[in-house]
Amino acid sequence: MAALGPSDTINAGENVFIKMPSDNVKCIVLKPGSTISLGKFGEFKADDIIGHAWGNTYEIYDKHKTRVYHSEEMNEIEETANNNREIVDDPSSQKLTLDDIKALKSEGLKGELTGEEIVNRLKDSHATFDKKTAYSQAKYLQKKGKKFLKIFTPIKPTAYSVNEYFYIKNPAKIRDIRMDTLSQVLSYSNVHSGAKLLVVDDTQGMIVAALAERMGGKGTILGLYDGDNARYDVVKYMNFSKEIQDTIKTLSWLRIHRPADEKTPDEMQDVTQLTGMDLEGYHRRLKAYNIVEESRKALFEADFDALIVASQYQPESILEKLLPYVRGSRPVIVYHSSKEALLETSTYMRKRPDLLAPQLTESWLRKSQVLPGRTHPEMSTWGTGGSLLTATKVIDQPVQAALTKKERLAMEKRNTEAKKLKRAREEAADSAASSPALADDAATVDAGATVTTTTTTTTTTTSSSATIISEETVDAERASKRVKQE
Amino acid sequence: MIDSSIHKQSFGTYKANNTIENGDPVVLFLSKENMILIRIRDGDEYICKFGQYRHADMIGLQYGTKLGSNTGRGFVYLLHPTPELWTLILPHRTQILYIADISFVMNFLNLKPGMSMIESGTGSGSFSHSIARTIAPTGHLYTFEYHQERVNVATAEFEEHGLSDMVTIRCRDVCKDGFGLENKVDAVFLDLPAPWEAVGSAKRAFRQNKIGKICTFSPCIEQISKTVTALNEHGFVDIQMYECLIRFNELRVHTVTVVPIDEALEKEREFESKRKRALPRVLRESFKKSLEDARNSTEEEDQNTQDGDEGSRSKRPRTDASSRSDAISPAAEPRNILTTRLPAENRGHTSYLLFATFTPATQGSLSTQPNAAPKHT
Repeated sequence: MAALGPSDTINAGENVFIKMPSDNVKCIVLKPGSTISLGKFGEFKADDIIGHAWGNTYEIYDKHKTRVYHSEEMNEIEETANNNREIVDDPSSQKLTLDDIKALKSEGLKGELTGEEIVNRLKDSHATFDKKTAYSQAKYLQKKGKKFLKIFTPIKPTAYSVNEYFYIKNPAKIRDIRMDTLSQVLSYSNVHSGAKLLVVDDTQGMIVAALAERMGGKGTILGLYDGDNARYDVVKYMNFSKEIQDTIKTLSWLRIHRPADEKTPDEMQDVTQLTGMDLEGYHRRLKAYNIVEESRKALFEADFDALIVASQYQPESILEKLLPYVRGSRPVIVYHSSKEALLETSTYMRKRPDLLAPQLTESWLRKSQVLPGRTHPEMSTWGTGGSLLTATKVIDQPVQAALTKKERLAMEKRNTEAKKLKRAREEAADSAASSPALADDAATVDAGATVTTTTTTTTTTTSSSATIISEETVDAERASKRVKQE
Repeated sequence: MIDSSIHKQSFGTYKANNTIENGDPVVLFLSKENMILIRIRDGDEYICKFGQYRHADMIGLQYGTKLGSNTGRGFVYLLHPTPELWTLILPHRTQILYIADISFVMNFLNLKPGMSMIESGTGSGSFSHSIARTIAPTGHLYTFEYHQERVNVATAEFEEHGLSDMVTIRCRDVCKDGFGLENKVDAVFLDLPAPWEAVGSAKRAFRQNKIGKICTFSPCIEQISKTVTALNEHGFVDIQMYECLIRFNELRVHTVTVVPIDEALEKEREFESKRKRALPRVLRESFKKSLEDARNSTEEEDQNTQDGDEGSRSKRPRTDASSRSDAISPAAEPRNILTTRLPAENRGHTSYLLFATFTPATQGSLSTQPNAAPKHT
């Protein structure tokens, strides 16, 4: 049997999500020797699960002993002749009083009764239980089970489970990024072992955590932050090994460029003269300085394999600054919790000649209840999961194919003709502008064309920076655009 | 079929120097809808209606470069192949999985470097590429396909795309013959017509002493029912079902002219007062009168304002006419607003994604296996 690695077992000192019968999830740190209370669901000793493989569900018995719980098979419901015609809403159907139930509960906590026994007592003393439909009976038992069963499941923190935990508990913390949207960030970013990624992550590190998990300790994530430090709180929940933790590097926006008056620790102090506290301080400063230098170096190598932006600040302003550090043919991804916030960014990206095919997407996710004979979408569903804007970074220096003499002559001829045509058009436009009536007409041109026009203008500017690309190319672009539209 | 002289640039990683060399794969991006994969061979060329693109011109360029054709009439972008691009351009031999499902399944199954996984069937290999990229370099994908021709093509593709070290492909009907793997994998993905027939064998393939996840991908709810029953019987727990779709928005700039209703109504009144035949004279007169009244009251009000008669004015409610003149001028200006719309035709359903968890306790429920549930300390 294959040996279990450290990430396959529940380890002391790690973060663990505990799923309770109510479906609520509690996050705990598993301290050896401690007792963990799950409120009305009882308590258990951390040592009883430390060292075990992930995945099991445990039952609490005899006050706080635990054993592996084998859930019963879900059974197909057999239709009965019962219906709800005779059922009236009457609290007296339950023959047990509130005090009786409280007594049962405390017996349960003492370990004298199992959760299942309590549920059975409730069922037996319910006057009209037998009259309920088979579906309603099953639902009743399930509902009571969620209150009285004393079982729990330790859940391993993974990008998915951590994301789900925060998305349900506090979506604002992670800027509403949902598991499906995050999964798409991972795909579009083409993150893999050994990749080098540039990230601006204001989702408290949710995105950084997921990326780091996918790199498995090889490669670099450089996260830019503002404020005192990178607020990657979510990363702490992932139980990363040092190897993986070390792939995450951070750099303050303010430290990207070395300030003119910044001194190295060696310039500040002569290390040979230092002793005791001063020497310790020097080494601390040196370490901090080296970390910043290393991050700067990583940034200025300008060979990133992806740029991922999920910032509270205007995405355009960030793209403007960071796109130069990304290699050609690499993904650029902008996440925002609202689609509307990305509309301006989307037009900005379309105008940039170094971004190819920007695409604005939203994800839709629906969960269903799957019980034999009772499968249907869940009655309540999630709200927004956020929106993504993705594009491919390309190199904004067009290259013209090498030409044979014949091809060059043909091209020059076409260029002269194009210039003539352009001049003629401009003259026509000038004369049109002098007549106010016509100018009005020109202004009412379908605004749908606005974006296209601006894009073409930008392309023209870039083309002129490249030596060989002719104006003809711009016309060809228009032509190819027309073809695309067709 | 496989040319051993070409070097195998992996689809799972990027080339270190990002430079196109002889033998490299390049995705030519002509448009979003028109991309093709080529293999650079000095002397070859790609021809389309905008001209020729010689492979010789591409050698030495960086991936991501925009290359003009020899006629100057067109251009292409030279892109580095990735599993995501491959999904868009691969030759379809079967229905394939797209990014929404691929991404969600990989995230739910917690795929990461070093994991072992089963996929069945291989189909066109769309998902296989994404899996291989994600579990590389130390993980392994076992992929099964019962159609011999598809196996042959996929084998050649894995080889050419530099993934063959990480992928084992077998021609096998897993529903009949099982996977033939025991205690080997961390995750299983079944895209089969009858996934419930493979659940038992999948269970044996999981590493028996740790947690594992299984996903089945079925378009029909009836298939889901049968699979749920099978998973349930075999002791899998935490059965969940999801559907995931991506909405691709089209961004538009719309010119929206906002006209207040009063302005429109005034035009209508004017029109009605001029229509001689359609309306009885009495009505026509009344329209005319209401139009005049409206105008008079505006004038009157203007005069009142000029007289500085604040008292009488404040008691009187503002007439329609005056609010109209206030409202029309700024609001009637055409205003550009950014809007999005969904394409007229959208994907409404791909498949149901059914997930379940294998636990050491699941394994314990197998009668043929010794109970290996962890012992209490």
